[in-house]
Amino acid sequence: MPSEKFFVKEDLYNKLEELSKEFEIIGPRELPNKGIFYQSLKNTRDLYLGEGFAIEPIKRFFLKPSEWIFDERFRENKNILEGIPLPADKRIIISVRPCETRGLTLLDKVFDSDYKDNFYINNRKRTIIIGLACNKPAKNCFCTSMGGSPIESRGMDVLIFDMDRGLIAEILTDRGRELFASIGEGLNEGQRRLLKEDKEKKKDLVEKKLSPPEGKELDKIFESDYWEDVSRPCIGCGICTYLCPTCHCFDLVDERRKRLRCYDSCSFPDFTLEASGVNPRPTKKERYRQRVFHKFDYFKKNFGENLCVGCGRCIRHCPVKIDIADIVDKVPGLKKE
Amino acid sequence: MQNIYQPYLAGIIDIRQETPDIKTFKLKFRDKEIEGSFNYRPGQFVEFSVFGEGEAPFCIASSPTRKGSIECSVKRMGKVSQALHELDVGDTVGIRGPYGNGFPVEDLKAKNLLFVAGGIGLAPLRSLINYCLDNRDDFKAVTIVNGARTSRDLVYKSEYREWEKAGDTKLHLTVDCREEDWTCMVGVVPRILEQLKPACRDSSAIVCGPPVMIRYTMPVLLKLGFCAPSIITTLEMKMKCGLGKCGRCSIGNLYVCKDGPVFSLEQLRAFQYEC
Repeated sequence: MPSEKFFVKEDLYNKLEELSKEFEIIGPRELPNKGIFYQSLKNTRDLYLGEGFAIEPIKRFFLKPSEWIFDERFRENKNILEGIPLPADKRIIISVRPCETRGLTLLDKVFDSDYKDNFYINNRKRTIIIGLACNKPAKNCFCTSMGGSPIESRGMDVLIFDMDRGLIAEILTDRGRELFASIGEGLNEGQRRLLKEDKEKKKDLVEKKLSPPEGKELDKIFESDYWEDVSRPCIGCGICTYLCPTCHCFDLVDERRKRLRCYDSCSFPDFTLEASGVNPRPTKKERYRQRVFHKFDYFKKNFGENLCVGCGRCIRHCPVKIDIADIVDKVPGLKKE
Repeated sequence: MQNIYQPYLAGIIDIRQETPDIKTFKLKFRDKEIEGSFNYRPGQFVEFSVFGEGEAPFCIASSPTRKGSIECSVKRMGKVSQALHELDVGDTVGIRGPYGNGFPVEDLKAKNLLFVAGGIGLAPLRSLINYCLDNRDDFKAVTIVNGARTSRDLVYKSEYREWEKAGDTKLHLTVDCREEDWTCMVGVVPRILEQLKPACRDSSAIVCGPPVMIRYTMPVLLKLGFCAPSIITTLEMKMKCGLGKCGRCSIGNLYVCKDGPVFSLEQLRAFQYEC
């Protein structure tokens, strides 16, 4: 049963200051002329608690853009492989948007399933997540169509609501309870009512809507020219995949004696190019279709959910204004309500 | 927790030049324990590391019935396979696996088996052929149709005699064009199948070769009366992780590396895969 606590921002900053002795504190920070970025906060007062959205998702704190996997060495006339010790220091990521944490719960299905990725799992285990409910979703946000919402708490230890007169924290796990034991106080009747009203209001804040097709229906238009039309503007830069909280395709590459697991993207032509010269996804049509199908068809068949949280990053940052929500919404020949 | 991306070390104990651009590498795991616990099925593959160059998937061409080492046949093609061709006996490589589903060996028992191979496509089939010959009583008649562009491109030549001598086993060799001193068949594999007319009753066909061969072989097999579930092939794709995670080798919601690489024609049809 979640419990709630009320405190003011100053209390939170002080608490973080105290926690920073034991934890690495990571949170969004506003960089002048650049934007908002999740960073390790040396000064916890740099923490951004506003309405804006970070440019990059928190994915990179769990799935590094480039992860050093092992070293191959030559010692006493013998080749050996040396594993990389996993970091053990504990972290708190704070002011995380609900869609981002949902992204992690989807990545869990990939990296914490049959073959377990110890790098990812270790990062998950050593991190406490404190979310921040959205007061003002951006115009490209469409989380409610993807099964989320501005107040969704799945995957979080604590979810904070920014109310006019202070903050209300919903404590969701034992880790969260321990962390917030000595801060704030329980809610009175009035505050409880305010939180309830606030939740009601925030639930419907997101304006952008789409009706995601059911997996089986998307199947039927696999060969449609629609994919050629919608992918025509794409320049294959891959920014949509790098900034996506759920995109996780990777490459394994050797750099001298190091092996690295690096982000890769289905929008790059050489992603699937074989040594023989054959490419099963030779044009933008196949590559963009792959992205849409992976998110809204294949993943749903395999794991029961869309591989999209509706954060809107791929729309906001696309240099040619491709809107995946719009594309999925307008898929031809499908039943519409 | 184990690092799923870290390979086992193995030494190259023998290299056989199969054709001008294909070599078979015989590998022995450095760790005795790994050698004992590395169990695989015919049709599975490994991720092969040449350190400093990278990793690439190759099928295991040896049979699990012949223990002590594994073999992979590699055509000189991309970055890793080129680097591999430069290696010598005694050099160390990395092996990760085995991955994939492998051939449905249990389903093939008590059946007539028709193996259809083109070029290096014989590699995964060789694993199953030798497995069948080592468990000869479990299977009925074995027919092997093996083709290559030229006689120089035929792989595993040193084993043909053994295959021909095995009980109730026939080997048909063919090359694409007529050659001097060539006494076996001439013509592309689908044509040869049309001529040979292998019986489809109680039979399964196991097909592997270049995409163009597979494309023209499937309709011939169907015409001969083989049904889609009993036509089995093994697909090739850029499989990087082998774990169903890296996102390259998906066809439909399946991953070739994890759910394949062995599929029946019936399965391929179900997800609109065009051979």
